[in-house]
Amino acid sequence: MSGFILGHLSVFELVLVNGVLAYSQYIALRAGVFSMATAGFAALGAYTAALFAVRLGFPVWAGLFAAALIGAVAGLVLALPLARLRGVFQAIATLAFVQIVMSVGLYWESLTGGALGLNGIPKLVHPGHLLVVLAIVLYVLRAVSRTGIGRAFDTIRQDETVAVSLGISVVKYQSLAFVLSGALGGLGGGLIAYRNYSLVPEDFGFPLLIAALSFVVLGGRNAVAGPLVGALILTLLPEVARPLADYRLAVNGVLIVLAIIYWPYGVVDTVILHWRQRKAARAQAVAEVVP
Amino acid sequence: MSGLTLRNVSRQFDGLLAVGDVSFSVLPGRITGLIGPNGAGKTTVVNLISGLLRPTQGTIHLDGEDISTIEPAAVARRGIARTFQTIRLLKETSVLDNVVAGFHCHERSSWLASLLGTPAARKETADLRARAAELLRQFNMLQYAGQAAGNLSYGHQRRVEMMRALATEPRLLLLDEPVAGMNDREADALGEIFSVLATNGLAVLLIEHNIRFIMSLCQELHVLDAGRLIASGEPHAVRAQAAVVAAYLGA
Repeated sequence: MSGFILGHLSVFELVLVNGVLAYSQYIALRAGVFSMATAGFAALGAYTAALFAVRLGFPVWAGLFAAALIGAVAGLVLALPLARLRGVFQAIATLAFVQIVMSVGLYWESLTGGALGLNGIPKLVHPGHLLVVLAIVLYVLRAVSRTGIGRAFDTIRQDETVAVSLGISVVKYQSLAFVLSGALGGLGGGLIAYRNYSLVPEDFGFPLLIAALSFVVLGGRNAVAGPLVGALILTLLPEVARPLADYRLAVNGVLIVLAIIYWPYGVVDTVILHWRQRKAARAQAVAEVVP
Repeated sequence: MSGLTLRNVSRQFDGLLAVGDVSFSVLPGRITGLIGPNGAGKTTVVNLISGLLRPTQGTIHLDGEDISTIEPAAVARRGIARTFQTIRLLKETSVLDNVVAGFHCHERSSWLASLLGTPAARKETADLRARAAELLRQFNMLQYAGQAAGNLSYGHQRRVEMMRALATEPRLLLLDEPVAGMNDREADALGEIFSVLATNGLAVLLIEHNIRFIMSLCQELHVLDAGRLIASGEPHAVRAQAAVVAAYLGA
């Protein structure tokens, strides 16, 4: 097993990085925020982390912290106008945000290196770092799920009018979701920067945005494990199906369409749902036998 | 002045007057009825009180405080809970967690405590679940605690909605057609609960079509027609008025 992991270390790292990006997307959707801003947050985090390391010589944890922080700040700034928008309007506005960030990356050449990008970034993250980061992210998301914030998010997502009637301030909680999504997206971007040696603005365009969304759609939107499983499947798939590597995007697309049609809740949530129904059916059967 | 007071409340949608110059109060310890034909503006009144709509004229006070123009979430935090004309539950969520959601206003853990998953925040969740289970027990619903709320029968879903509203520990409960689609037995079982709540000091505003149900429960009755109050007072006296008969009860 360890031999297998060592042989595929780079893919394994990629799964973990993609997992963090998937959680940035997940936390927004969980609160009913239709945000596509993850790619933009990742770009901000990546450039911040890279510049801190290259120009200022920051150590890895400080760089990652700065990346998460700039993502969170961007999330907060976005939330001011966008927490009042709904559904598809929110999606389009966040899409515009991603485009703006990409344009800044292209045209602010003195800072970002423009289309040529930033090169010679030291490889600062190793699998150990990634595991620690992911463990922290998972711990926080689990904590959120099991306490008041998670309950408020779930209520808002399922029925905003009900949330309001129970005294939940939708704008406040959706702003928090933007900030958390921003912090996770920035963090994911920082990890990308410290893994890839170089950055160009196109790394953070439409394909990344769709990838982050796909991880959550395929993996599942409710259970905390969902996005990670989605990231795992979609990252490993091109490796497992090497002969189809040329059709990678097509294969991903087909997989998403199939998932939406047959497993609309995503892999993990569907399994959990199935398991719960079986348990309920069994409990019912027992109750009927023992009146 | 305790309880809810509407003073000359009007609401206009562009040219259409949905509610015009309506004044009445809902006192603690009593069930106040509001009836009227379809389109009379009953639900608009509920939406005005709960803050989803703002009155174009007039004021709404709760226990002497003006709540006419504050945000709906803030209205809920002041102690006004409601049920909806069409049931609105969190269908994917378990019955227990639907009720736990009602405790939102009483949560004390900070965001930071929640993000860090501190022992205090986790204990609060456990405590709220225990309180929700106690509420389920009172309503004879404990055996459904783990089921997804969307899978319950209509009558049981109504009860879950009621429990969620009560979990907010309101001072005023707005019931928008709570027994619509129920048979008399189910309706009376729910009516029993309303009476107990009112006796315990809750102010209840009951909006209904079911005249028999209203007459059996309310201590005071108001009749809306085309957005205006056409009669108010003791239920049997109101029912006897000619205008009410013409507008609502038919010949």
